[in-house]
Amino acid sequence: METVFDIIFIQELLLSTVRMATPILIVALAELYSERAGLVNIGLDGIMTFGALSGFLICYITGNPYLGILAGAISGILINMIYAFCTIHLGAEQIVYGMAINIFAPALASFIYKIYFGISSTLVQATLMKTVPIPILNKIPVLGVVFFNHTPIVYIAYLLVPLTYVFFSKTKLGLNYKAIGEFPKAAESMGINVMLNKYIACIICGILAGIGGAYLTTAYISTYSDGVVAGRGFIALSAVIFGRWMPGGVLLAALLFGFTDALQLRLQVMSSGTPYQLLAMIPYLSTLFVLAFFGIKKAGPKANGKPYFREER
Amino acid sequence: MRELLVMKNITKKFGDIYANKDINLIIREGEVHTLLGENGAGKSTLMNILIGLYQPTSGSIYYRGKKVKIDSPSKAMKLGIGMVHQHFMLVEAMTVFENIILGVTKDSSIFIKKDRIKKDILELASKYGLNVEIDKPITEISVGEQQRVEILKALYRGAELLILDEPTAALTDIEVEGLFRVIKKLISEKKSVVFISHKMREVLEISDRITILRMGHTIKTLDKNKTNAEELAALMIGKKMVSSKYKKVSKTKENIIALEHISFNKESKHNGIKDISLTVGKGEILGIAGVDGNGQSQLAQVVTGVITPHEGNIYLYGKKVAQFDPNDFINSNISHIPEDRNKMGLIGDMSVKENLILKSIEKSKFSLKKGLFLKKKIINQYSNEMKKKYDIRCSSIDQEVRNLSGGNQQKIVLARELEMEPELLVAVHPTRGLDIGATKYVHDKIISARDKGCGVILISADFDEILKLSDRIAVMFEGQIVGIYSGDNPPIDEISLAMAGKAE
Amino acid sequence: MKNMLIKIFVPVISVLCSFIIGAILITIIGGNPMEAYTYLFKGAFCTPANIGETVIKAVPLIFTGLAATFAYKCGVFNLGGEGQFVMGAVVSIWISTTLKGITGIPLIIISLTLGTIAGGIWGAIPGILKITRGLNEIIVSIMLNYVAILFMGYLYTGPLREGNVPQTASVPVKLGRIFSQSRVHYGIVIALILTLIIYYFLFYTSKGFKLRAVGLNQIASQFNGLPVKKFMLFSFIISGAIAGLGGSVELHGTQFRLMSGFGQGYGFDGVAIALIGQLNPIGTVLVAYLFAILRTGATTMQVGSGMPTSVIDIIQALVIVFAVAGSAFINLPKIRQFFSNVFSKPRKEPL
Repeated sequence: METVFDIIFIQELLLSTVRMATPILIVALAELYSERAGLVNIGLDGIMTFGALSGFLICYITGNPYLGILAGAISGILINMIYAFCTIHLGAEQIVYGMAINIFAPALASFIYKIYFGISSTLVQATLMKTVPIPILNKIPVLGVVFFNHTPIVYIAYLLVPLTYVFFSKTKLGLNYKAIGEFPKAAESMGINVMLNKYIACIICGILAGIGGAYLTTAYISTYSDGVVAGRGFIALSAVIFGRWMPGGVLLAALLFGFTDALQLRLQVMSSGTPYQLLAMIPYLSTLFVLAFFGIKKAGPKANGKPYFREER
Repeated sequence: MRELLVMKNITKKFGDIYANKDINLIIREGEVHTLLGENGAGKSTLMNILIGLYQPTSGSIYYRGKKVKIDSPSKAMKLGIGMVHQHFMLVEAMTVFENIILGVTKDSSIFIKKDRIKKDILELASKYGLNVEIDKPITEISVGEQQRVEILKALYRGAELLILDEPTAALTDIEVEGLFRVIKKLISEKKSVVFISHKMREVLEISDRITILRMGHTIKTLDKNKTNAEELAALMIGKKMVSSKYKKVSKTKENIIALEHISFNKESKHNGIKDISLTVGKGEILGIAGVDGNGQSQLAQVVTGVITPHEGNIYLYGKKVAQFDPNDFINSNISHIPEDRNKMGLIGDMSVKENLILKSIEKSKFSLKKGLFLKKKIINQYSNEMKKKYDIRCSSIDQEVRNLSGGNQQKIVLARELEMEPELLVAVHPTRGLDIGATKYVHDKIISARDKGCGVILISADFDEILKLSDRIAVMFEGQIVGIYSGDNPPIDEISLAMAGKAE
Repeated sequence: MKNMLIKIFVPVISVLCSFIIGAILITIIGGNPMEAYTYLFKGAFCTPANIGETVIKAVPLIFTGLAATFAYKCGVFNLGGEGQFVMGAVVSIWISTTLKGITGIPLIIISLTLGTIAGGIWGAIPGILKITRGLNEIIVSIMLNYVAILFMGYLYTGPLREGNVPQTASVPVKLGRIFSQSRVHYGIVIALILTLIIYYFLFYTSKGFKLRAVGLNQIASQFNGLPVKKFMLFSFIISGAIAGLGGSVELHGTQFRLMSGFGQGYGFDGVAIALIGQLNPIGTVLVAYLFAILRTGATTMQVGSGMPTSVIDIIQALVIVFAVAGSAFINLPKIRQFFSNVFSKPRKEPL
């Protein structure tokens, strides 16, 4: 009896790890695309919140979670354009703008929700995205349930990892893109359009972060409430650093964050006395530890966070 | 030989200032054409026009006989003009291979066809003798190799005209030989090279023709075989006023500062100093002459405590300096007019008043109880006094210095540094970017500080300034002092040759 | 003078624009902006109790705003205000519930002092990592926020839990109330005194002067003999200490116990307030007060006019968006040039 319980426990734990890691992974990839072009965006939480709201709303209205995801992507772009314009064109401090997005986007999301559903409405339920098991593979014991019985968004998120890897290390566009985050002046001198690429970076970041938010309200839970994102944007930000700006590393980091999250939830359910908060600290503490002792700073794009102006005299 | 590039009557104005005026330049196919000139003679402006970073105010450019408009670096690249910048444009986090193919769109494929492109690059490399380790990251290869990558980068983009901006600046002698072999190979393949350098020996070795620029004008184009170092140096520097209106003094016995075998970063010829020994006495001006970037910045920072030398000792008033800290040097009465007043001298967002008292705010004159109470009234009074005394033109002492002209900014630095009544003044390019009136003002102030007994180290790339003010002249070249001359009736030809690296 | 004008101009215009957009939003959803705004200000001012609530809401914002201002003045970013705020409160609750034998004002003084120190230590961590390891202080301070919040969660669900609900016991001694009609406590007095001290320090002492110099130009500061790294670390510690004191005051004056959501968002609000207040301590207090007005009035507005409180959140967020964009815009090289051309007399062309 006990062993069966153990296997079920582990299976449940891993399953929820994969599910919980998904939004973090998508949003961390969003940040990766942004930072690779030299734009540190700490406004992920805000973009996610707005994505979550619009995803939920469209899903509620149309009854189609996939349209919700699409809406999340589009609204992510829209919100991130504020950041893009102010940081790329005005050269405003990226951190400040990310923060402004974090305050602005949730306020707007909450406003729209309240306007649509009324001020004191109870939680509204929308359609939840159904899982699409992958034939044959989902029959594998344990692994089948853990990896091959998810919503399509989950598969796409994990597929994005190798795709991102290929983009950055095998394609010309990816190479040019990386150069912008490293040494924009050199990129410009090689005829690469720095401004355009930075905008593209913001669009990709907006799409992915918006999808990450919409995933929460269309495929993870089926309701929207203020604070639904719960700091996942910042966790994603940490995941990028922890993963050393490499797609594979980001995946591992997202899984680690997802795992501690899942474990903490399980422990909370099992006995209320477990100090799960201490467990939840592990990812942050280990990121700090790695930062402090392994000099991670040279791993990041060199021109990250710096405004770029074309040379003029 | 056919003409590859013709620049006709090129003029470039920045505001009211002409950086280039009626420049005429003809580059032939298969030649090494050197641009020779002092700092600020207009070489970099001209080259930036050629690669499309600047647009000329007037004048026209012909490439292979056709009139062209070069409005972006990619346009220049398309024409076949490539440049190797003095500060390399290489992405350090990437490999040699990645740097070479960056931004190239030779085929329509999305993916990088690594094997095929690599073969092309290696073929090109072996054709011109450019040895590179193609898969290594930039950080792991030497400066010489990085330069070869830059050249290869330009060639891979189909460059026919290659501009090399101070290419030997960062190289060792052996690497320079290697570079010259590459240049000769390029020439033999009918490519053209524009070579920018200050070093006479190299210029005479590699060039076919030499164009001299001075103060934004083309002075002359000469055939290498029909000229010599002396003539070139004289043309480059121009007629010098030997007589200075300032009285020169001879060195006193009493040393204020003495450097003994000081080295910093000595492997670097351009960002380091090597085995420098010199002394500055009371009431004399030691001028450090030399082309920019021969270690002068490092020398200035060593003698003001900003950086710690790797070898050697410094003695202040006969006492050995144990720790290098700018504050200790300031407390030892050493004043510093740094080379870049905006970056190093002034706090641009602070007011005239605040900048004036930046160093002395904690003195009892301006504050009580270690700065807990500031005597605002006295500070205002003092600042207004300084405004008058140093003729600082500002709307009020509360104006931010960022909005003042260069001359007025420098006057603030001067007021702050000289009012400390220093015993040693380190002045680096003190009149750079100033108009004639402000320049004269600064010169008078430096001389009067000397006459009060202050020792002065004057570092300047402006040879006229050195000649005018110095009581003794030391020449710096590649981080070393290559000669010390009397400032009274100095041997100008000899000094200008020494500045170009031909002391022997 | 010109700069002073711009510094006041940008936030004022931003606030006006935000209110106008807010009015447009209200109109779009079928409300009456005048009516809504009337309720908003009624909510913040109509009774002494309401005025008191506004002041109480302003207190923690003043502290975190000042913390952000102080760090920013030295050119470092402290996004860890929330963590430092929480750590201050954590140490205070621990001390005041476990220390036996001391009560009354001495206990409050000890508790506030230790809270301040705790915040300072929490603030020192990103500072030390920045000056010794060159780490980005932003990332470090954000992560430390999470560590602090989780640690607080651990305490109120575990060792310091009281009763069934996950929260701590109430503090034994509370900060006294100033007036009988409202909950306003002496925390506001502490906040205002601190504001004046910081103002005096920054603009009337030599150390404050040097700190600002370091914040504006590190290289020039180094060349002029100022210990740049020491100042950076110092400003981080003080910044953290200010936030820590804020947490302590909030605990003893308003919340009395730790529970989920304590201090949430105050760190980022503080940075926003500091930026809108143009990094001036007095400006920070004014903006913090404005934010408090908006927050207290929002509920009244929702009840009175049926407009959701999130309209006010949007207005708040827009103030930030506009103020920061405005400042960045004015600092663009071209715009700067334009302004200085407008303000100075045209120069004659030299021949």
